[in-house]
Amino acid sequence: MISLKNVAKWYGSFQVLADCSTEVAKGEVVVVCGPSGSGKSTLIKCVNGLEPFQKGEITVDGISVGDPKTNLPKLRSRVGMVFQHFELFPHMTVMQNLTLGQVKVLGRSREEALQKGMKLLERVGLSAHKDKFPAQLSGGQQQRVAIARALSMDPIAMLFDEPTSALDPEMINEVLDVMVELAKEGMTMMVVTHEMGFARKVARRVIFMDAGRIVEDAGKEEFFGTPRSERAQLFLSKILHH
Amino acid sequence: MVGTLRTTPLAWAVRLGNLYVEIFRNIPLIVQMFLWFFVMPELVPEALGDWIKQMPPPWGSYVPAVLCLGVFTSVRIAEQVRAGINSLPRGQRMAAIAMGLTEAEAYRYVILPQALRIILPPLTSEFMNVIKNSSVALTIGLLELTGRARAMQEFSFRVFEAFATATVIYLLTNLVVVLLMRALERKVRVPGLIAAGGAPQAGH
Ligand SMILES: Nc1ncnc2c1ncn2[C@@H]1O[C@H](COP(=O)(O)OP(=O)(O)OP(=O)(O)O)[C@@H](O)[C@H]1O
Ligand SMILES: [Mg+2]
Repeated sequence: MISLKNVAKWYGSFQVLADCSTEVAKGEVVVVCGPSGSGKSTLIKCVNGLEPFQKGEITVDGISVGDPKTNLPKLRSRVGMVFQHFELFPHMTVMQNLTLGQVKVLGRSREEALQKGMKLLERVGLSAHKDKFPAQLSGGQQQRVAIARALSMDPIAMLFDEPTSALDPEMINEVLDVMVELAKEGMTMMVVTHEMGFARKVARRVIFMDAGRIVEDAGKEEFFGTPRSERAQLFLSKILHH
Repeated sequence: MVGTLRTTPLAWAVRLGNLYVEIFRNIPLIVQMFLWFFVMPELVPEALGDWIKQMPPPWGSYVPAVLCLGVFTSVRIAEQVRAGINSLPRGQRMAAIAMGLTEAEAYRYVILPQALRIILPPLTSEFMNVIKNSSVALTIGLLELTGRARAMQEFSFRVFEAFATATVIYLLTNLVVVLLMRALERKVRVPGLIAAGGAPQAGH
């Protein structure tokens, strides 16, 4: 479904990504972790072409992201993305957030979009809030709306960039629950997160990044059992022991 | 529009926009007034230039005055639009693009609606500035408000009354502008959002 081959990226002369290769099969959940500044966000943003990369190849559902002939808006409309800071559109109601892409990008009728939006809001448990504005919701609620917004486009895969790291601890679980449920339904997911509980529960593989490189790419049991690199062991012991 | 251009990823558009804004922002209004009135008719094709020069009295100076104030104000507004757009979190544009909107659609549905709400207060003061700046047009002989007051004064020597009237009319016009803009601000206010970043840009 998602495939990266020897991807490299520079900001000026600073190399953010070096020789990154991995695969995410259909229905697979892959967790990406690593220290701050290791290039996790950059990697995941390259997957839907939000950030350009200079070397290597990325394909999503067989379509090359780096190819200048690729219709990127079309490709992006098929890949849902959830951000650390939610990025709901503050001047629109919850429901308008959910229908904008459906109507403007997919060309659905307003009624169809509203129906779909309502169904998704029920699913994330927020149908009572459909006419509120994002600023009137809690962080956890906003992130659930953001997930519903991404789902409203019927994506073939979902990308998450630290979806819970801007949340107060008591709200983290309400968001993770939605994500776990999604994973169990067979959604293809690439998730940047430090929530190792989530990784243990639903991930098939864990990727560990450091300084722009994929240092570890292993099955979940293997990763939590005996990660091979020292760097990954150190990182794990840090985030698991507090 | 120029302000929007200057935030796009298009390097040439950004540079062109910057040039335009810097030229018209850094030349004093009164100098620009003279340029528009005396130099502009010479620069445009001869027929058009002659036509402008021969326009009957109020119009001959009215057109350059309007053009001048228009351009002068537009660059100031362009600057505010740019500041407004840049004050939005970068993620907003990303989120819009990530859902499959094109760059243009992202501006239209996500970025500009938010930026315009932010710059509404400074826009109000810009409107009031146009009205006040119209008095500079006096220098090229346009009979606008201050001009009329001065003319009246020559006829009647009632300096105080004449200027008092001019002041009151300026005040009233600006008051109307302020009230209209307040109403507009209220209309587009987003519940739960406290005047998103409006304060820092206000006032000049
Ligand atoms: N626009 C940019 N220009 C220059 N350097 C950048 C830019 N964006 C990110 N970087 C640098 O690239 C590196 C990787 O950034 P990235 O955001 O991908 O890290 P990350 O692993 O997501 O970190 P975090 O856990 O803090 O989110 C960092 O060193 C960062 O400083
Ligand atoms: Mg990051």
